[in-house]
Amino acid sequence: MRVIKASQLKKTYNPKGIAVEALKGVDLNIDKGEFTAIVGPSGSGKTTLLNIIGGLDRPSSGQIMVNNTDITSLTENKLIDFRKENIGFVFQAYNLIPVLTAKENVEFVMLLQGTSEKERNARTESLLKAVGLEDKIDKRPGELSGGQQQRVAVARALAPKPSFILADEPTANLDSQSTANLLDMMLALNKEEGVTFVFSTHDQRVIDRARRVVTLEDGLIVSDVTR
Amino acid sequence: MIVKLAWRNIWRSPIRSFVVMGSVIVGVWSLVVILSYSYGVVNGYVKNAISNQTSHIQIHHPSFGDDMDIAFTLPENSTLDSSSSMGGFSYSKRAVVSGMISTTKGARGVTIKAIEPEKEKAVTTMHTEIVEGEYLTEDKKNQLILGASLAEKLGLKVRKKAVIQFQDKEGNVIAGSFRVVGIFDSGNRLIDDAQIYIKKGDLENLIGTATTHEMAVLLSDPDELGSVQQALTAAFPDLQVESYREISPDVKLYETQIGTSSMIFITIFMLALIFGIINTMLMAILERTRELGMLMSIGMNKIRLFFMIVLETVFLACIGAPFGLFIGWLTVKYFAKNGFDLSAFADGLKQFNIESIIYPSIEPTLFFQLSLGVIITAILASIYPALRAIRLRPVEAIRKL
Repeated sequence: MRVIKASQLKKTYNPKGIAVEALKGVDLNIDKGEFTAIVGPSGSGKTTLLNIIGGLDRPSSGQIMVNNTDITSLTENKLIDFRKENIGFVFQAYNLIPVLTAKENVEFVMLLQGTSEKERNARTESLLKAVGLEDKIDKRPGELSGGQQQRVAVARALAPKPSFILADEPTANLDSQSTANLLDMMLALNKEEGVTFVFSTHDQRVIDRARRVVTLEDGLIVSDVTR
Repeated sequence: MIVKLAWRNIWRSPIRSFVVMGSVIVGVWSLVVILSYSYGVVNGYVKNAISNQTSHIQIHHPSFGDDMDIAFTLPENSTLDSSSSMGGFSYSKRAVVSGMISTTKGARGVTIKAIEPEKEKAVTTMHTEIVEGEYLTEDKKNQLILGASLAEKLGLKVRKKAVIQFQDKEGNVIAGSFRVVGIFDSGNRLIDDAQIYIKKGDLENLIGTATTHEMAVLLSDPDELGSVQQALTAAFPDLQVESYREISPDVKLYETQIGTSSMIFITIFMLALIFGIINTMLMAILERTRELGMLMSIGMNKIRLFFMIVLETVFLACIGAPFGLFIGWLTVKYFAKNGFDLSAFADGLKQFNIESIIYPSIEPTLFFQLSLGVIITAILASIYPALRAIRLRPVEAIRKL
């Protein structure tokens, strides 16, 4: 089942009046259950591509279908709702809500969705257990290590049962052990629960464990390898 | 969760939050004190005016007010039945004429108020304001009491005599010799300088006929002013029945002015507070740009985001308000008992008929007005920061350091 279908995506920025083409016509399809890394050097356009796939940014031209919805045609408010229901985000800097506990961070999006308290509690508990943080549910982000915070971020991204998870350089701020643990956990979720992951990364440890590696250079896909 | 999030957010920077709360506390406290002081001044002024000059209601011939002509009398059968359905009240009849008081030292134009001494006690406090000698008594004829300042100007003392002159209906000059039995200090320079009091019977003896120009009515319950005035107007359709506000426009002005000045004070306070809060909230939003971008990324819509910022601002402002109100209440309670002593400025204040010790009083509605003012201020102050927050683009905001 196809969850993402990007066609001829182009994105041009105009900082200080100088046009910079970040994407020059990208075609990319991602199916359910994939564990895909989008790689490339800095400035290759991988974060731009991820932002557009996630509905955080709009392409200058081209079309992006997510679950058969053309998200480029959605209004800003509808796009926010669409992201809430369909896409999970994991950010490089964790970006948890510092005043909420791990449990509250995970259940936050479910609250926005209007999920019942019973279901919220059950899902939060199971997700924090799945990421190995069942003993940290009442800790705030400031009381957790970087690796633990990123695990909470993954649990939060999974909470609303999204179609896929977008992770922008999720291991960039983690040490080797935390990176390995995080990857193990995400691979397990991918394998056992069929969660679709799409990363942007230039971390070789992530690239090595991805099943599909899409390489971008100067705004174009130069290779797309499935292992 | 939005409420919880907003509440916890305001404690992220406790010092900054305490500064805003502190400014609300000081602002609300000072407003309570200033406004209750103003109410105290006005209440004292109005109370003085009612007890010394106007009573609650006065009844006159419709033309009497134009030039106080002696001819414009009330019908002699005009009486008020205090057991009527109009509620509790006391009243006194007066004859009021313009005239002159002369001594060997000089002469002054005055308003001669001819009163029924015993009945007058129930209507004014003049009998309590005698500082030398005594109040008018029934036993001796041609007694006179006058203000201390006028007595000084005319070189009059207790037991000294003065001549009072005025014109009768036909324009004949009537004169009588009166002995000073008492000197009063009403606290109102206008009264002390320009009004003298004699007995109504003595004036009638000089004129040769019963004369009443004024009936002054003091109510047991001032809240019944409107209904009693209405009832009296119905009872005396040919006479002019006026409340103290109509008789003495300055009293009405004071009473209405206090409401206006309260609103001006509250508005100034709100404006000062608004800028303080906007500054604080803009700083908070600047610091949390990445977090706000993340919230929008994961699905928090703009309405919720807007509401969260408004809620944070309202919390911030409203936590301080009860403390400010409470401290203000305590301050006013203390001074309501002990008074603001302005004796050092007593002479100046007397010119304006203001007492030298001010007893502040709080109108219960002030607490409501101030609480509402703080909430409105917070909501107004939150709009700009909240708009700034929802205008953030998540893709840019999440990358802010």
